[in-house]
Amino acid sequence: MTECRRWAAPLVWLALLLAACLGMAQLEGVFRWIEPDSRQVIYARADFLTLLGRHLSVVSVAAVLAILVGVGAAIAVTRERGRDFLPLVSQLASMGQTFPPVAVLALAVPVLGFGTLPIIVALLLYGLLPIVRNTLAGILGIDPAVREAARGMGMNGGQILRQVELPLAAPVILAGIRTSVTINIATAAIGATVGASNLGDPIISGIVNGNTAYVVQGALLIGLLAISVDSLFSRLQPASMR
Amino acid sequence: MIDLIHVTKRFGASTAVDDISLNVARGELCVLVGTSGCGKSTTLRMINRLIEHSEGEIHIDGQQIRAFREETLRRRMGYAIQSTGLFPHWTVARNIGLVPRLLKWPAERIQARVEELMGLLGLSMEEFAGKYPRQLSGGQAQRVGVARALAADPEILLMDEPFGALDPLTRETLQEELRALQSRLHKTIVFVTHDMDEALRLADHLVVMHQGRIVQQGSPLTLLREPADGFVESLLGGEDRGLKEAALLPVSQRMLPLGSRLLACERIGQRASLREALSMMLWRHAERLTVVDDNDQPVGELSLRRLVGARSDD
Repeated sequence: MTECRRWAAPLVWLALLLAACLGMAQLEGVFRWIEPDSRQVIYARADFLTLLGRHLSVVSVAAVLAILVGVGAAIAVTRERGRDFLPLVSQLASMGQTFPPVAVLALAVPVLGFGTLPIIVALLLYGLLPIVRNTLAGILGIDPAVREAARGMGMNGGQILRQVELPLAAPVILAGIRTSVTINIATAAIGATVGASNLGDPIISGIVNGNTAYVVQGALLIGLLAISVDSLFSRLQPASMR
Repeated sequence: MIDLIHVTKRFGASTAVDDISLNVARGELCVLVGTSGCGKSTTLRMINRLIEHSEGEIHIDGQQIRAFREETLRRRMGYAIQSTGLFPHWTVARNIGLVPRLLKWPAERIQARVEELMGLLGLSMEEFAGKYPRQLSGGQAQRVGVARALAADPEILLMDEPFGALDPLTRETLQEELRALQSRLHKTIVFVTHDMDEALRLADHLVVMHQGRIVQQGSPLTLLREPADGFVESLLGGEDRGLKEAALLPVSQRMLPLGSRLLACERIGQRASLREALSMMLWRHAERLTVVDDNDQPVGELSLRRLVGARSDD
């Protein structure tokens, strides 16, 4: 496959996403048909591109933190010294995902106040599990003979981690990050309930005001964003993992 | 070169290796043989400190192994294992160059060394250098494993059942190659196996282990002729011992100079083993063989009576 064709799918989705952000007003006829009784059918309190930017930055910050914490914790508990904490960490990560993000928001707001911070915390907790679980699976799944040989050849701990374990586990780790980010793009919408303005705004506002057209616009953009990012990730993974 | 002095290894309450003493001379191929769980692998892995010994001392070249940093010690020793442990994400050439790279050799020297080793192990550079381990057959992968162990030209080579997973034909080829390699390189090799035929074929010094202890050690012929107890005897094949011994002795040792009699029509090389000679006699229904040198010139003759070691010829 040529380089161009490899990137065709994500580029098409990105183009659709941008077109939808900029040209939502052109679809007024369709939305008027969905919501004939409302005075306004195109969400206009903020411009979609700004909302998209905020949405992306919240998800990115949460993702970077989740990667640092998740991959870091998984590496730590697969070292000789951290082995004892392995069950604890995998359980904590599972709990993070069973805890509904809405509940995290409710608990975080009194402590952190309204705005972006509580939603980042909620997304971080929610996104940890796939990353921790996949990093653990990737590292623990390496043929023990490979690690034995690496040690026997005289590689030290850092060399084994950087030159052997991480490269071999990378495809599985990347798959975990992909799942985590894709889920969180959708989950981030609830941030709109605590004053973090993003693509969830039209949805929440649509629900509150009984305007289905707004809900559809927010959902459409979030869906397109999730698909674009997911298809970008699928390009990063080696062919064998797709 | 390698000295184990009253070495013991305990895992919790159980004793894996029990007070063994062993000396491997420079340039010697020492084979540790025994049933599974007898402590032979543990012994090997204590030498490069993949396992730390509990009691006793291990010396390399007169120095305690604990005087070295673990990594430094291991980089001085080649290490080859049954499942090869080649890095699946690296090419053959990069795998072989691992230890030289750890030792920070300059790139050209690593490149030259990798080429040299691939030649030595019969792996063509064009065909194999860029391949990945999953593209290799078992025998090729094990050759790469041995090349990697030899890469930094270590004086000591530790081999843990390196040929254990190969089919019998490939295994024999690699055993031959190891012998040939050893006769050129004169490394000090500690080789672990549970296959007694392999042990007898390769060993200069044979060490039989049982339940964490050394039961007997010595040259293969000594062990065959004077097994210390029933265990060694049964491990050496009991009734088969005669054939195993014959496999270790060359024809040239028992042949008689050419006499006045007509030459027998069946010929055998003087380097062949007595076992091969016996097999040929059985197969061809011949009581006498003509022994020939490398150029196929007759140099002597071997009769069945001589072969089995009867005192005088007819």
